[in-house]
Parts: sequence; structure tokens; C-alpha cells
Amino acid sequence: MKCEWVQENILLYVYNELADDARYELEQHLVRCTDCAAELKATRKFHAEISQVPVEEPSPNLVAASRMRLQEALETTEQGGFWQRLVFDPAAWLHQMRFSPALASLIFIVGFAGGIGTTYKVVKGGPNEAPSGSIPTQMAESSVSGIRSISQEPGSNRISIRYDTISTEETQGSLNDQRIQQLLLFAARNNYNSGVRMDSVDLLTQKPNDTNVREALIYALRYDSNPGVRLKALDGLGAYVKDDVRVRDAVLEGLMNDSNPGVRTEALHLLKPVQADSSVRVVLRRLSESDQNQYIRSQARTMLAQLPEID
Amino acid sequence: MPADAWAIPFAVGECSPPDATRGLGKRNNGTQDPQMRGHMAGQGLGRIDDTLLVREAQRGNRAAFEELVRHYDQAVLRLAMHLTGSEHEAQDIYQEAFLKAYKNVGSFRFECSFYTWIYRIVTNLCLDHLRKRQVRKEDAPVAVDAAGEQYDVLDQVPDGRAGANPERDLMRRELGTRISHALERLTPRERMVFELKHYHGLKLRTVGEILHTTEETAKNTLFRATKKLRGTLADMR
Repeated sequence: MKCEWVQENILLYVYNELADDARYELEQHLVRCTDCAAELKATRKFHAEISQVPVEEPSPNLVAASRMRLQEALETTEQGGFWQRLVFDPAAWLHQMRFSPALASLIFIVGFAGGIGTTYKVVKGGPNEAPSGSIPTQMAESSVSGIRSISQEPGSNRISIRYDTISTEETQGSLNDQRIQQLLLFAARNNYNSGVRMDSVDLLTQKPNDTNVREALIYALRYDSNPGVRLKALDGLGAYVKDDVRVRDAVLEGLMNDSNPGVRTEALHLLKPVQADSSVRVVLRRLSESDQNQYIRSQARTMLAQLPEID
Repeated sequence: MPADAWAIPFAVGECSPPDATRGLGKRNNGTQDPQMRGHMAGQGLGRIDDTLLVREAQRGNRAAFEELVRHYDQAVLRLAMHLTGSEHEAQDIYQEAFLKAYKNVGSFRFECSFYTWIYRIVTNLCLDHLRKRQVRKEDAPVAVDAAGEQYDVLDQVPDGRAGANPERDLMRRELGTRISHALERLTPRERMVFELKHYHGLKLRTVGEILHTTEETAKNTLFRATKKLRGTLADMR
């Protein structure tokens, strides 16, 4: 290995950007070559020196002030609507065009390979043992979701294509199995079938101590379109209204804004143990004064009446 | 299960390299090793969350957009503050970036991760800021010292934050000033690549993606920036 190559790559070595084999070779070279070892020392010294300008965390005040300023601005800002999407955007169009050659090449390659394969079968009349024979089998089992790269080795007819596939798999295990938990969390947030979401949220409510699970339940309560799923999530979160402020906020939000009266009523009942909390009190007062639902209004009034007056 | 139920999250992850979720994450302030990064709010499942939140935001749900903001806003402020050296300017960049994102979220087509998209907006704004500052710098208040050398008047303003060890503070401040000056001699693009790589620990592939260029170009820019910085710091000794 030449010193020139090593010196060019020492920076990447320090930044941990070298592939394992190159890294190994470079380390071997450094043991033998004092000049390159000195260069590594100098690079590390520079690295340490330049790191002395610290990257400071933004203060909580700055974050809060920035969020408030943004919220105010968002109140008066219109999102680019439906019409904007229809307007011809030359930049986006050009961006799309960048992928066209890759797609055209793929279609060409697949067509070419198919043609060759068919001809080969016709001529030989025997089984096709060409490497391309494995592609149709895979295609049948799973569908291609995207092509990452296409390359041809110079001076040969060997073509490499990296592509992603979507396939259906099955896994089994108990609720304590990490893989099962991950899939349940994923299903609770992402599945388009509300029945599956309901099942996963139902199972997750058995483990609400886990932070990720609690997050998923809060998410379901806030954003799930199905009231049944929201109710299930609410049930799971009930025990934490007292101790976890985020849970309390989410339940309050549900009580205020949920479109389903059943979910709101359930949220109201869950908040009973913390009805003396100032945020709950404010919400109750507002509901007792102006909520459209008569039951919620009267319940809020009853809960407020049970509270000691605070001046 | 419908195919797109799987396809969407994978497509989103597609251009997010493994370090993307940690790179601009919370930094351990005391450590001097830029490789030691903390976590990013949008880790693993967080990225999947983003997909749903983006879809909700595209339907006009402002709460979902504000949730997205909360995923990234601290990292955005951290980057802008370090680049501009000013909380006020960082706040302006923050405001402009997220307003721009809000207005254009409808045209986000999931061709890359939301993470990459929002950082493209932020880095573009920061680059504009750095370019404007380079122009302004020509009119910066300068004076001539006893030895006849020019210096920036603003550098002489004393720092009010007195520490327990004035001598060490002074040395650290001098070194900080030297490094800041050296960083300012880089072109805005070199500065941005160095910033993202060195101070925020992003992989060069991610840096290239954010800056709409190749990994190779990002690598060459990093080499150039490092060479310049080493030269400038050596000259200042």
C-alpha cells in the first residue's frame, strides 16, 4: 500500500468513514510507516483542537420562545393547497426525470434477459440454467418496491441491480418477545386496517409500563381515526393519568376535542382522580360553561362542585 | 395487508442512512469527541411516526405538523446557533425554515425522508445566511493595532461570563476565536460540509444527500475544508 493512498484516507479513518477492509489495511500500514503514523497523530491533534468550539444545546427558554413565535405565525399562514399541487413545477419534473434513465435501463435489461432466456429454451429445448432464471421466481414471491442502483462491470456483460422487495412474512412469539412488541407498535400506528390496529392496541394495553408502548397508546388516542381504537388506548392509559403528565395532557386533549362522545365521556371519568389539577380544572370549567354535549356539561359541573374553591 | 401499508415506511427510510436518526441529535456538551452523539428524537419508530404525521399535516392537520416540529426543532436550533453564533439569527432561521416546510408540506412526495427534506431547507437557509455574511464582512468594523495589523473591533468586546479560572478562560477564548476565524475563511459550502460532518457527526453520504450532491463531492469538500483549516490554524500560531 502506498503512503499517498494512506495519507489521502487518514481523515476518513479519523472520522470512521472507511470500510472495514480499507481500515484494516490502513492500520497495518501505520504500524510499519512512521511518516504516516505522524500524519495520523497530526490529524488527530487537529481533530481535537477544532472540537474545542462546543456545540451548545439551545436553552429551554429559546426553544419555548421559538415554538411560540412559530405557532403564532402558523395561525395566519396558509398551507399550499390542492391547486398548488396541480401547478406545473419544472424543478420537481426535472427531479422525476432523473430517475427515468434508470427505469428505462431496467425495463430494457429485463426485456433483454427475457428474450435471451426464451430463445435459449427454444434452441436448446432443455432447462434454462442461466443466472437470470432466479429472478422470475423471486418476482412471483415478492414484488419490487424500488431499484437502488444499476451498474455494469467494465469490459464484461455482468450487470448488478440492487432492488428492494415487499414480501409477506410471519412471526410468532409471546408478548414479551421484542420482535412481537416492535411489530405490534408498528401495527398500532401504521396499519390501514382498523381491525388490526384494534388488536395490536388491545395487546399493547397489557404492557403500558413500557415507554414506547405508552407513546404508541398516546399516539393512538390522539390520531387514530377509529373511535374503538381510541377507546382501547384510553383504557390502557387510564392508570397513568395520575403520574404521567403527558398521558394527562393527551386525555385532556381527547376530552376537549375528540369527535366521539363515548371517548370524551370515558376521558372525563378517567380524569376524576386528578380533577383538582389546575389544567383539568380549567378544562372542566370551560366544558361546564359551553360544551355542546349536555351530559359532558352536567358531569363537568358536578365534578367542579365537588372541588374546594380556590381564589 | 395492502402493499402500500408496507411500502410507504420503507420508501421513507430509503434515503435515510443509518446515522440519519442520530447525526444531528442531542450532543453531550462536555465531550470533545464529535463521534459521541446522543439520540435524535426521531429514532427508529420515530421515522415511521413521521410518515403518518406528514400525511396528517398534508391533510391540513396543524397539530400533526407541530408534532413534527417538536421532533426536529432542537436539532435545527443547535445547527443554526453553531453556524451563526447568534441565538437571534438562529431563531430567524428556525422560523423561516418551519414556515417554509409548512407551506410546502403538500408537495413533499416521500422521495426521501422528512428528516432529509427539513435539513435541506435548513441548510439552504444557513448557506444563504453565510453568503450574506461574507458580503457584509467586507464592511465589518476593523481597526489597526499598534503593530499595524488589522483586527475586528467586535472581537475586543469583553465576554461578561466570568469563569472560576480567568487564565484558562482567556486561553480557551483565544483558541475559540482562532477557530472561529479559521472557520469563517471557508466558503459557505465547505463550512456547511465541515459543520455537518465534524460538529454534528453525520455520515458523508447523509451530508451529500442533504446538500443535493454525491458522497464523493461531500468527501472532496471535507478534504478541502480540513486542509484550509489546518493551514489557517498553523499560520495563526
